[in-house]
Amino acid sequence: MIKRQVFLESIAALLIMLFLYASLSKFLDFRTFIGEMNNQPFPNFLTPFLVWFIPLLEIAIVLALIVERTRLLGLYASFIVMTLFSIYAITILLHFFAYVPCSCGGVISKLTWRQHLVFNLFFVALSVTGIVLQRRKHFKTIITKNSFV
Amino acid sequence: MKKIKWMIMTLAILLSIGGAFATRPHYDCTFNTQYYWNGSAYLQAGTFGVNFICQDSPNSCTYTIVSGQFVQCRMGTYSPASGGIQIKK
Repeated sequence: MIKRQVFLESIAALLIMLFLYASLSKFLDFRTFIGEMNNQPFPNFLTPFLVWFIPLLEIAIVLALIVERTRLLGLYASFIVMTLFSIYAITILLHFFAYVPCSCGGVISKLTWRQHLVFNLFFVALSVTGIVLQRRKHFKTIITKNSFV
Repeated sequence: MKKIKWMIMTLAILLSIGGAFATRPHYDCTFNTQYYWNGSAYLQAGTFGVNFICQDSPNSCTYTIVSGQFVQCRMGTYSPASGGIQIKK
């Protein structure tokens, strides 16, 4: 039981590290991030919205993962976000767009698109494992509470 | 258990904050005027993502002037952009 709990905490910690690092590195080099967003193959009028929405969403996920009551929500959110990033990486690799843009975001920008995809899929798998463990824990808590009633 | 939880969380938060600051670029050539090589001369490229884009490749996309010399800045292949959507039809 304790082992499983530590494993769940470690999954949450890894996701927190990913999203907190990603959002902070965007804010710390905001000008470059704006340029990189403009370089992505979607309309530039979305850039003013996306440059704030993406890092703020990442911080919201971090907060949801830290607080026990909202952790399941945070795990679902990280699963959705990482799945969307993976789909985006797949569309880039399949040359769905007219050109292949640079991959961006701190040290992560050193990865190729293929490595990016593997990296994202690892965190998708981690989020799914976290969801399963957190749901199991949630149901066990409900059963334990009801058995005392 | 709560103690272990907060130890793991604190470590994760400190590592990510420290990592973000440690990997923050100290000198960024992209803040300087960007030039591209058109085959015979270096020309001003304009604003990244607005006037030009760099497609993923190991080539030199743009250059900047350092001590009177043109040195590579952005990696990739230079291509002019109109700032609009560029989805393949």
